[in-house]
Amino acid sequence: MINSEIIRGHIDAIILKLLMERDKYGYELASEIKNRSQDLFPIKEATLYSAVTRLESRELISSYVGEKTHGGKRRYYKITPFGRAYYAELLKEWRQLRQIMTALLGSDGE
Amino acid sequence: MNRIKKFVSNLLRDLFSEEDKKELIQILTTSLEEKVEDLVEQGTPVDQAIERSIQEFGSADDVLEAFPDKFLRARKVRKNQFLFSVFGYLLIVGITLFVNLQWISVFKHIYWFIIVAIGTLFWPLAMLYRYVSKKK
Repeated sequence: MINSEIIRGHIDAIILKLLMERDKYGYELASEIKNRSQDLFPIKEATLYSAVTRLESRELISSYVGEKTHGGKRRYYKITPFGRAYYAELLKEWRQLRQIMTALLGSDGE
Repeated sequence: MNRIKKFVSNLLRDLFSEEDKKELIQILTTSLEEKVEDLVEQGTPVDQAIERSIQEFGSADDVLEAFPDKFLRARKVRKNQFLFSVFGYLLIVGITLFVNLQWISVFKHIYWFIIVAIGTLFWPLAMLYRYVSKKK
């Protein structure tokens, strides 16, 4: 299992990336991460939703209440221009990190 | 759905200031309710959906993981609590020892302060456990 220290550093980038595609509500983010990582990314919903709150307070994302098909309400999150810029920055960092690690450990880690 | 709000409030009981907490409780509750609704739509009975959502949610420590600065602060608080308990313990045992040897001359040759020393040991031990176990 991946160390939770490592996850903490990347959760912002993952949330922003998912919201770049389209607006999503909280649980949608959680299930999307679960599906795409084939359940290998061990993040608790408590951590995820809290990270979302933190991103919102930094104005990297915003939220609005949207209607649901069956009449209920959902809180959707939307990435702000500021959030997009921050994501571009994080992506650059990640590519650099990947390059460094590949150079040091080799592409298959052997 | 009240159960979810109660669960979230309970989870954050010892964390954050009242002001920060209010919004976080609101958002965590909403997200959990969305999950319950989704599960119910997929055919899970309501009670079971609530139960499952709460079980899968995570702990107060998982909430703190999302706030690195607060996470570190919480650790520092636990360390201070531990140091405070050690200091308090030594003070209590010291005073008892002094009273034992100086004051009550009848019992002077019985080291009854040991009973107090062992009896109050739970305090620093509990704090040490709290500090070490949440350190990860």
